[in-house]
Amino acid sequence: MLGREGMDLEVKEFLEKVTAASGVSGFEGTVASLIREAWAPLADEIRTDTMGSLIARRAARADGGLAPRPAGAGPAAADGPAGTQVAGEGWREAGGRGPLRVMMAAHMDEIGLMVSKIEEGGFLRFTTVGGFDRRVLPAQEVLVHGREDLPGVIGVKPPHLLPREEAEKPYKMEDMYIDVGLEETRVRDLVRVGDPITVGYGCRSLQGELVAGKGMDDRAGVATLHACLQELARLQHPHDVFLVATVQEEVGLKGAVTSAYGIAPDVGVAVDVEFAEQPGLPEDLTVELDKGPVIAVGPNIHPYVFSVLEKVAKEEGIPHQVRVVPGRSGTDAWAIQVTREGIPTGLIGIPLRYMHTSVEVASVADIKRAGRLLARFVMALDAEALACWRWEA
Amino acid sequence: MKEETRELIRNLTEAFGPSGQEEQVRELIASLMRPHVDGVRTDALGNLICTRGARRVGTAGGPAATAGRPGAAGTATAEAGAGGGKKVMLAAHMDEIGIIVTHIDDKGFLRFGTIGGVMPHRCLGQRVVFANGTVGVFGHEKLDDPKDLKFERMFVDIGASSRAEAEEKVRIGDAAAFTRPLERAGNRLVAKAMDDRIGCAVLVEVARRLGTSPHEVYFVFTVQEEVGLRGARTAAFGLAPDVAIAVDITLTGDTPKAETMEVSLGKGAAIKVKDASLICHPGLRRSLEETARAHGIAYQLEILERGGTDAGAMQLTREGVPAGVISVPCRYAHTPSEMVDEGDVEACIELLVKALEGPLEW
Repeated sequence: MLGREGMDLEVKEFLEKVTAASGVSGFEGTVASLIREAWAPLADEIRTDTMGSLIARRAARADGGLAPRPAGAGPAAADGPAGTQVAGEGWREAGGRGPLRVMMAAHMDEIGLMVSKIEEGGFLRFTTVGGFDRRVLPAQEVLVHGREDLPGVIGVKPPHLLPREEAEKPYKMEDMYIDVGLEETRVRDLVRVGDPITVGYGCRSLQGELVAGKGMDDRAGVATLHACLQELARLQHPHDVFLVATVQEEVGLKGAVTSAYGIAPDVGVAVDVEFAEQPGLPEDLTVELDKGPVIAVGPNIHPYVFSVLEKVAKEEGIPHQVRVVPGRSGTDAWAIQVTREGIPTGLIGIPLRYMHTSVEVASVADIKRAGRLLARFVMALDAEALACWRWEA
Repeated sequence: MKEETRELIRNLTEAFGPSGQEEQVRELIASLMRPHVDGVRTDALGNLICTRGARRVGTAGGPAATAGRPGAAGTATAEAGAGGGKKVMLAAHMDEIGIIVTHIDDKGFLRFGTIGGVMPHRCLGQRVVFANGTVGVFGHEKLDDPKDLKFERMFVDIGASSRAEAEEKVRIGDAAAFTRPLERAGNRLVAKAMDDRIGCAVLVEVARRLGTSPHEVYFVFTVQEEVGLRGARTAAFGLAPDVAIAVDITLTGDTPKAETMEVSLGKGAAIKVKDASLICHPGLRRSLEETARAHGIAYQLEILERGGTDAGAMQLTREGVPAGVISVPCRYAHTPSEMVDEGDVEACIELLVKALEGPLEW
């Protein structure tokens, strides 16, 4: 068993590993296998669903006054077919007992690019996958995932050679291309239309608890689930927990739609990133960085789920911030909430600066706090209270 | 291309069927499909679902053996499962873009809303037809600048001189579609509603030509694609397929000063990688590519930056379905003169036939 220090190190190491890995939406295989490797020892069952989302299940460990569910199949890592899941157990009677099925989702895909055309000279035209900030694409370092991974750069015209008006304007997509430094014939051997492209490299530590890198959105969330799983491994938790690293969030919350349908949970919580304060942004649009995870409240969030999250954070002395999300949360929570007959859903935000760039900045301390909050949330969830929840006053 | 195929495309493209009013197309396709499949039914939204059980070498195949037999689909399921075959959903949408009448004024002019991606400038000089055969032409109010052309300032004139006279032929809520005959231009075909009757034509031809196949195949002619992939969503939920393939048109980048796009007319079937509605299942996409290469079928990889297909809806059905798209390259999409290449159409048919005759594995 690792000591407190060891655990801390491990969350950061995990984050460094998964942010360095490539996982552009639709092509999450590489990062998925790293996550599987890290989660398998702590899960009772781990599988990949049809869309590619990775689902780790930890069965309830203690009844906590509830009827125990049959023990899990042991720490096997077999990739069971989708049909082995109990999908939709029907209505839970009011006051009914038994472990809840709790789904926690963080998306493992990252925004990126895709080869759309190979130009004469071997230069690559590209399109975006997910909402990459086009203003910051010029002069980026990239990795083109062709038959082999090819390092490349997004070429920029020297300002010296441009008319002044053009030099002052931002680059348009149609003026950008990727240079992998190879002859055209070699490029055509190795690269094809449709090959995904990762922008930026890995993760570097800034001072204190802060880290900067590509793909923090939402590997910071995946690392939160990792921290939660480590915490759960030390707890006799009364509910079944499904940790899901979802795919294709950045292109339309897709992995959450299908994995939530398959799991048919009683409660869902998504972990995604939240805009953190930075110079030039108004305070009302941002939260503080390194001051604890965000517990979201709003129409996307079930009041019972919010109340348990907030209560646990207070009781456990976990620094946190509450933020109102007035409509679409734009996260997996939005998809989970309307799955099947509807799922009480919560949302945890990891504060993040410079979202949708290759230098996203997050705090490891926030991630660890969020992981602990989620584990304690599982301990505090009460099936009876949820079943008895009434919307009417 | 055989004259028979060309006639099929003519009949399909000239048929009437704006989103939500696909009855005429559905009847036409049902009659074309019946001889080649085991069962034909229409679901709650109006999708036409044609079922063809697995047919293997040595078995007494052919529609005669199973047509109309109760429980035929169930038998096929068991067969498909036993032989490693899959439950494959093919989708092409029957509906086309059009307009819908919102108001009839005292003089008998019709104001309208749009169904799907219709653009004002593409309507100038065009004619529309209603389900009952009533023909109308587009007109517009006096404009100071052509840029002021908006649907709010346009109307349809059906030749009526009063509201009462107009209402004898057309009511609020009636939809109309462009009307145009199919034309041949060299090896190319030009018609309205190629989007997506050409996909329907591909599916009908596949049903005609498909030999033995281990798969249980559902030919689904969907409704309401142009207003949000709506028919495919419910059809896929009902069928719960193992694999889903849509056949639809895609744009090209081969006309003067076109937007950068790697698809050209005449270079073969387009195998989609990505559009605005989905990233295609990489394994299925590679399997289609391998089939094309193995059988010498011309193909090109496609990335469509705007627009979506039924595959986007099918992919998200239930726990998720591996989904892909075979696209027919098409110029001038969403105009009454959509152009496709006969060789490309043949390549799409051939590719789908060979894919269904193979194991469809990855």
